[in-house]
Amino acid sequence: MIKTKNLIKIFRTDEVETTALNNVNLEINEGEFVAIMGPSGCGKSTLLNIIGLLDNPSEGEMHFNGYQVENYTERQRTNLRKENIGFVFQSFNLIDELTVFENVELPLLYMKVSGSERKRRVNEALERMNIAHRAKHFPQQLSGGQQQRVAIARAVISNPKLILADEPTGNLDSANGEEVMNLLTQLNEEGTTIIMVTHSPSDADRSHRIIQLFDGHVVTENMRQKL
Amino acid sequence: MIKILLNTVIRNLYKQKVYSIVNILGLATGVTCTLLILIWVNYELSFDTYHKDIERVYTVFENQKYADGDVFSVYSTPGPLAASLKKEYSEVEYASRLVSTWGQLVLSTNGKTFVEKGGKIVDPDFFKIFSIPVLYGDYISPLSNENTIVLSRRLSEKLFGDIDPIGLSVEINSNYQFVVGAVVENAPENSSIHYDFFLPFKFFKEYWEYDLSDWEANSFHTFVKLKDGVNGKNLTDNIRYHVRQRVPYSNVELDLQSFEKYHLYSISENKSGPIWYVQVFLLVAVLILLIACFNYMNLATARSERRAREVAIRKVVGAQRRGLVGLFLTESIVFTTIALGLGIVFVELLLPVFSDLTNRTLTLNPGNLKFLIAVVLIVLSTGVLSGSYPALFLSSFLPIQVIRGVFRQDSAMLRKVLVIIQFTMSIALFICTCVIYKQLNFLKDSDVGYNKDNIVYVEMLDDFYEEYSELKGELLKIPGVHWVTAANQMPVNFLNSTWDVNWPNKLEDSEDVLFQLSFVDFDFIETFEMDVIHGRGFSKQFGEDTLKFIINESAAEKMGMVYTIGEKISLWNYTGEVIGIVKDFNFNSLQVGVDPLIMMRNPSSFKYIGIRVGEDKEPIINKIRKVWNKKFSHIPFNYRLLEEDFAYFYQAESRMGKLFASFTAIAFIISSLGLFGLVSFITENKAREVALRKVFGANVDNVFQLLFKEILKWIVLSIAIAWGISFFAMEWWLNGFAYRIEMGVGIFILAAGLSLLITLITIYRQIARLVTIAPANVLKYE
Repeated sequence: MIKTKNLIKIFRTDEVETTALNNVNLEINEGEFVAIMGPSGCGKSTLLNIIGLLDNPSEGEMHFNGYQVENYTERQRTNLRKENIGFVFQSFNLIDELTVFENVELPLLYMKVSGSERKRRVNEALERMNIAHRAKHFPQQLSGGQQQRVAIARAVISNPKLILADEPTGNLDSANGEEVMNLLTQLNEEGTTIIMVTHSPSDADRSHRIIQLFDGHVVTENMRQKL
Repeated sequence: MIKILLNTVIRNLYKQKVYSIVNILGLATGVTCTLLILIWVNYELSFDTYHKDIERVYTVFENQKYADGDVFSVYSTPGPLAASLKKEYSEVEYASRLVSTWGQLVLSTNGKTFVEKGGKIVDPDFFKIFSIPVLYGDYISPLSNENTIVLSRRLSEKLFGDIDPIGLSVEINSNYQFVVGAVVENAPENSSIHYDFFLPFKFFKEYWEYDLSDWEANSFHTFVKLKDGVNGKNLTDNIRYHVRQRVPYSNVELDLQSFEKYHLYSISENKSGPIWYVQVFLLVAVLILLIACFNYMNLATARSERRAREVAIRKVVGAQRRGLVGLFLTESIVFTTIALGLGIVFVELLLPVFSDLTNRTLTLNPGNLKFLIAVVLIVLSTGVLSGSYPALFLSSFLPIQVIRGVFRQDSAMLRKVLVIIQFTMSIALFICTCVIYKQLNFLKDSDVGYNKDNIVYVEMLDDFYEEYSELKGELLKIPGVHWVTAANQMPVNFLNSTWDVNWPNKLEDSEDVLFQLSFVDFDFIETFEMDVIHGRGFSKQFGEDTLKFIINESAAEKMGMVYTIGEKISLWNYTGEVIGIVKDFNFNSLQVGVDPLIMMRNPSSFKYIGIRVGEDKEPIINKIRKVWNKKFSHIPFNYRLLEEDFAYFYQAESRMGKLFASFTAIAFIISSLGLFGLVSFITENKAREVALRKVFGANVDNVFQLLFKEILKWIVLSIAIAWGISFFAMEWWLNGFAYRIEMGVGIFILAAGLSLLITLITIYRQIARLVTIAPANVLKYE
């Protein structure tokens, strides 16, 4: 599903050049649950952003679902992204001015799904995340765990093939973190590919494979026994 | 989608209450000003447009060319002109003269008398040229009978009550009998021609013994209506020398002015007429709306940090830039629409005051198509303009930058420029207002060459001189009445002029000089406290003093006799001696200079009595009224004060001054809102820097100075630019006056001081709050 070849990402300011990713070669197949680990600043999030089509690499190839995308424009990336990828962030990233329902509905709006269909799907997703009773609330009226469940509902609403999670339990206590990880695991079992950046070894234990990054390099790839 | 978009926008609006209120108020104020100005402009442009085929109606005017190259343009034309044009040019379908009755007339009916001054003498064609609805009587040609009078509805009701008065008789000045031939609708307020009644020219000729066939005397307006499809320009070329062909030595060239332009455009080549005010205020409307738009841009982009995350998330989940631009534009259009609603309420509330200020009866007519189009255009242009930059700027954020936290605010520069432009415009408007006020006060207070204060004057009926002489004696007995005189006109507005003047040593081939002409009685010079440089004024001590002339300095200079009196000059057929030279005094608005003037004593022309009274006018005037009523029970004592007439000269300018002042205040308010927005943006962005500086030892004063200095830089720049712009604009304006002030540095320094003060007031609280905030509160989020 995802294949990178000699992927390089360099950040330049006027005087400093930082290599965030250096010759990263990866292959991730459909249905996999992959955890990316490594110390702060090793390039985990950069890699996730490139895989998530939020950013282009400086050099190298990037294949997504059979398309070679490293030179895609913003518009092309958006189109590919909205059909195929869902995001879950550490800080939830819900829009404060929208209700829970509207936050989850947002991707469907941009996919031009009809009103009745949107309603059905959002309600279904909220039920599934066990947050339907909060549909009319605004994000700030919810606990962190609830907010993250809304964010996951939003990520899955478009039935993406891939979910990218950037430290999804980073801002949560252990109980809520556990719940979120259960949801992600369940989604993976239903066939969604998941790539998760995490610092937490216990979260990483849920994955099939752990990719260790250090200073922009892939240092190890551990295949894990499926739990 | 639209519903969701609106929903989001309205929720945003509600959530950020202070921001929304500031923004909407700014826009509403801008929209209110613009609407008020547009309503006024629309009214000014509506003048006379109610006449059918107005584009075929023209006013004939004269360009009189003088020796010094001066061209004197006047609407006054000779008596035979109208008929002659109609006869000789097939292009002319109808032609009519128009002249106001010379003074008041006494109308009597059923034993009741009324003194009226709103009479017009016109030819029958007048009613074919202008659309004046006939209510009763002859619809086809209301004035075709030489013994008919046409009344306005107002006067008809006054004379006869609410009946059809056709066929009833009206007597004028006890001697002339008329029958009411028609009653016509009153002239609407936006008409250039106002009337209470119309009389035929037969009366004019007989009553004032006027030779209507004289090509050299100009007393009449001449209006023509051209045949359908005729080009007025071509006709102008044909009729240019029409007068010269009949009076070989005449300096007159005829010209045509479209009647559509009568109200707003001057016929003088180097003057623009009231259209100038219309243009200036349209510019002011645009400026204020621009300032309001800039405000919106400023405030909207100042919140960009808050909006950035929303933009990023929307993009991550699939929004394209186009959709986001739409979102932000919808937002600004919603804001503008709310502002418009508020603006319309403001306009409705302010219209009475604004009508008063403009001296017009202005109304808001929301059903009017023009108004609706204007409103839609204002909303769209304001909404799109003010939303354009925030939309493009905010939608350009890349989600990756926001998520990585490296996104930069690069709109700061533009925002500074916007605030600088806003302040420049406000300061420039302020300076202009001050200069206008200073000039007006200068004109009002400046020495006009005589003492215009404490002069009471009354208009008389014709041929009153005998009664006047008796009256004068009685008036002078009243304590507080110092001088009494009579004249054909008061020095606020001299209207008569002639070039038929000869003096010794006048060169044979020299071109004509236009002399103003005034007929004044004994004690005129004394009553008005004019300065006699040489000789004396008219005085009873020297007999009748007819065929004697008093001239002003300018006239003496033109005749080359600056310090000599006793010279013989001739005016028309009269030859007489110059007995006095008076210092130049202004007998018109100070916008124009002093023309050469000749005064002579001609009792039959007198029309006004001028009385110099003491400081405490009220009781003296009451005593004058008593004497008057005893003597002239049939003429109402409608006195006027010369100083009030004088103020009337500058009414247009004075109104413009007041309007400018109001709009300046508004511009400052909106600009301050803009500055407020900018400063809140800066304080938000500088919080970290300030916290760090404080951690490392900066005290409150250091930090305050640091922030204030930055803002000060822009204001100082605005002041500098505004100084330049307003200086040149006002120099240009002042040069239109014959007597003008020098602007001086005071106004400019005042403007600078005021804008700095406003700046300080606007930003002080915000900076103070930022400076006193505990560093830990800021840094813990890092």
